[in-house]
Amino acid sequence: MPTASHVIVRKRIVFFLCIVCLVMTGLAGRLFFLQFFKSPWLTENAIDQRVREIPVEAKRGMIFDRNGRELAVSVSSASVYAIPAEIRNADETAAKLAAILNLDSNKLAAKLKKRQAFTWVQRKIENETARAVQRLNLPGIGITQESQRYYPHENLASHVLGFTGIDSQGLDGVEITFDSYLKGRPGSIVVEYDGRGREIPLANHRFVPPVEGNNIYLTIDLVIQQIAEREAEKILKEHQAKAATIIIMDPRTGELLALVNKPDYNPNRFADYAPKLWRNIAVSNAYEPGSTFKIITAAAAMGEKVVRLQDRFFDPGSVEVQGRHIHCWKHGGHGSQSFSEVVQNSCNVGFVNVGLRLGVEPFYHYITNFGFGQPTGVDLPGEAKGIMYDRNKVKPINLATMSIGQSIAVTPLQLITAVSAVANDGVLLRPQIVREVRDKKGEIIRAFQPDIVRTVLKPEVARELKGVLEDVVEEGTGKNAFLEGFHVAGKTGTAQKVGGGGYELGKYVASFVGFAPADNPQMAAIVIIDEPVGLYYGGQIAAPVFGALAKDVLPYLKVAPQPPASDRPAEKDMHILVPSLINLSVAEGVKELQKAGLSVRIEEDGERIADQIPKPGSRVPKGGVVLLYTRTPRFTASEVTVPELRGLSSKETIELLAELGLVIKPEGAGTKVIRQDPLPGTKLQAGASITVYLE
Amino acid sequence: MLSRRLLKKLDFMLITVTLLLIATSLVIIGSATHINNPSEDRYWYVERQGLFALANFLLIFVMLHFDYKALSKYANILYGINLFMLLAVMFVGTSALGAQRWIQIGPISLQPSEFSKIIMIICLAHMLDKRTGRLNTIKDVLPIFIYVGVPFLLVLKQPDLGTSLVFMAILFGMLFVAGINMRLLMGIFAAGIAFMPIFWHFLKDYQKMRLLVFINPNVDPLGSGYHIIQSKIAIGSGLLFGKGLFGGTQSQLNFLPENHTDFIFAVIGEELGFVGASLVLMLYLILLYRGIKIAGAARDNFGTLLAAGIVSMLAFHVLVNVGMTAGIMPVTGIPLPLMSYGVSALTTNLVSLGILLNIYMRRQKILF
Repeated sequence: MPTASHVIVRKRIVFFLCIVCLVMTGLAGRLFFLQFFKSPWLTENAIDQRVREIPVEAKRGMIFDRNGRELAVSVSSASVYAIPAEIRNADETAAKLAAILNLDSNKLAAKLKKRQAFTWVQRKIENETARAVQRLNLPGIGITQESQRYYPHENLASHVLGFTGIDSQGLDGVEITFDSYLKGRPGSIVVEYDGRGREIPLANHRFVPPVEGNNIYLTIDLVIQQIAEREAEKILKEHQAKAATIIIMDPRTGELLALVNKPDYNPNRFADYAPKLWRNIAVSNAYEPGSTFKIITAAAAMGEKVVRLQDRFFDPGSVEVQGRHIHCWKHGGHGSQSFSEVVQNSCNVGFVNVGLRLGVEPFYHYITNFGFGQPTGVDLPGEAKGIMYDRNKVKPINLATMSIGQSIAVTPLQLITAVSAVANDGVLLRPQIVREVRDKKGEIIRAFQPDIVRTVLKPEVARELKGVLEDVVEEGTGKNAFLEGFHVAGKTGTAQKVGGGGYELGKYVASFVGFAPADNPQMAAIVIIDEPVGLYYGGQIAAPVFGALAKDVLPYLKVAPQPPASDRPAEKDMHILVPSLINLSVAEGVKELQKAGLSVRIEEDGERIADQIPKPGSRVPKGGVVLLYTRTPRFTASEVTVPELRGLSSKETIELLAELGLVIKPEGAGTKVIRQDPLPGTKLQAGASITVYLE
Repeated sequence: MLSRRLLKKLDFMLITVTLLLIATSLVIIGSATHINNPSEDRYWYVERQGLFALANFLLIFVMLHFDYKALSKYANILYGINLFMLLAVMFVGTSALGAQRWIQIGPISLQPSEFSKIIMIICLAHMLDKRTGRLNTIKDVLPIFIYVGVPFLLVLKQPDLGTSLVFMAILFGMLFVAGINMRLLMGIFAAGIAFMPIFWHFLKDYQKMRLLVFINPNVDPLGSGYHIIQSKIAIGSGLLFGKGLFGGTQSQLNFLPENHTDFIFAVIGEELGFVGASLVLMLYLILLYRGIKIAGAARDNFGTLLAAGIVSMLAFHVLVNVGMTAGIMPVTGIPLPLMSYGVSALTTNLVSLGILLNIYMRRQKILF
């Protein structure tokens, strides 16, 4: 018989069953949650716990110049790593390693005790040291091969190449812009461990091989780069300039053949240099171009047909715009001159008038078309776009100053790109730094073609402008860029530096931008000298550098010299070839100069002439000044190969050695060299002396 | 010998489920221990567990000959034996893992607290038998609490928090079925919660830590929280069908501690996946369901209470153990019945199931 308590018990039992069912359902629900919702995360955790990866760095691709000469290579180097879980005695291990690797053993011990799957002990060490570590045979310590970047030419083209960090990642230059091609894909060694940190003997020991990076062929030509580096180095020495920039471009393709900024740094030891030296000012620094910008003003005026070459301009010495006087650089002005002469003379007053005649809209149209105010798109990091007045806020005075290259800031690369467009019959090309990307088998992965941005001038206008610019060098301010046998076109510039709310007194930027040969340009170059000491006119110091560059680069590019133009016979007579005075006594030098019809200024009071400006072989107008120095040769301290002198006459020997910057020490009397010391082929520092035995 | 009539009344469903669980247990223990083993014999644990299971089957068969009603008579004697064993552990017991729980008799180390569970169920059933339906005031339940309290404190002293909690589960489960006044039950719970902070004070540091890591395992991932984290990783990485027997990376490669005892369910989760783990849970549900059915079918009140106590014990074990491996219960060292390796627990559980069979076999003819 069911009693009252019996009923309660039965009810409770049913209730009890419900509770049990609920509990079991809850547990099943929890399992479902763990195994479905959280499973990806938990599975990953499970793999992380037992699988450790030892990275194997990919060999970074090489960087070559356009002809396949090595500029950046990767050498393999050993790195020491630790797997802390496998280490038996961290303190002992640390002490032993620290002794070999020259590390702090306490710090290392702390690192080895940390709970982590993998850690580097020291990276990229000498192979000898690595072998010593390997001989210790410590559990949990291993060696893996990594690659280290090496730049065999040291400072050369450092601003183009850039450098890499400890993980072989690109940090600057093409190393960073082409990092994705160069870096390859790192591989790894996968090792499985159990919960006690023991390697599982038969488990997956996979080796994932790294994929080597691709090689890059720059547009840079090692030889031309070396020439540019030499000239930039010389600028710093001769003019005690703060900095110098030289860019050489092939105007037909937009390819950069050389790009130098001095001072520079050695990318092998980039960390030892101040970071501001890493800056590639050729692309990242906007400066006031001064008169070199008049090429753009002239192009705009001729393109818009607001001037003809024979139009006359009168320069009284200054011009007033909106109450401000703009002076011509020549005191008293140039008087009456044709437009062609305005360009030749770089007459400020003439250009201001041209600019005002042009008007804001057309002028801005040309400036923008030539690529100013926007990055050129070159594949180098940190490009600046320059600074320009807002088109809508330009007043006539701004227009006036802009037409003579003031109150506008451009990068050296923008300017050489724009001038190359003039040289290239009016077609603007994007400047290029890389020609090809090839894989390690040599297959081309990517090739760069000339990249036409737009046509900025009609070909006939461009050709006419080229003629005008050629005249600048033949007859005008650019005479010092003259090179016998070649037609050079270009424009000089001298800008006062801007700083502290106005122009800084005595601080100048001298520059020259031009191309050669004028009728069939194969090289365009810009030379910028920042804060020279002493002479500061672009025509005086930058133009000769262009001449020196062209003198070496054009023959290297196998450009045949042209016979002097027969229709301009008088011109040559206007210029006088500067004789070599080096190694002569001062008195003899003065006598030589007087004979040549040149005036002289003695800068230092020694006895023997050590150096002269302009250089021997330059051409200067009749009556031009030659500066004589007697102390340190201002030639670059670069290496010189001693030439074969035997059989030469004494005069030839003197000239040859002077040109190389070597000092002659004659022995014996006679006119023919019979013996020399050191022997031909020896490398000497410029300025070293060479003994010559005469008979 | 047992009469055919009685044998026909055996709960074959319960027997089948039990055998399936034991078989699963032997396979999983084999999988969990075949690498890390104290002896040369790869399957030492499996063989030992299997041997004890067989011995217990024999014991159950013998026990079935006696009416369970006899247990009621010996309740007081059993209670005395229980106290004696627990005190013996205190003085002559061996300790392991920081707790004194075992008595070494020859090659076998016995864990009296395991047996004391089933003894407590018998004693409580005996005590509540007379009081069913008359549990309405504090005065009614106080003697019961004192009765359970003595062995409870002895177990807690060992320390064996897990088993003492099982005592509580048995006590409340049986009080509930015995028809305790619901308001009184709620009052006792409320008082228990109110005294929690004091109780906390008596916990050992490692026990406190276990509770803290339960709330956030990452406070001590390599110490107290390690079990939980590893167990969750093992279960979670099992997915739907698991990594296969002998294929669990967490359980095989020493990441998962106590993989053949307390955390055996994590091995099931990893190697057999959600499907395997749910099937095992299903077996437990059937087992518990049969237990409750038996409680309802019992001939007398004593049988009902006995069955209710056994179900409470088993249910609590399953809940806390599976909950612990799945990270929703604190780590308390409660094994999974019939699954975890451990011969004392196996004996207790099988004897309990034997008692269930005994009750069912001698049920009333007419079910109401």
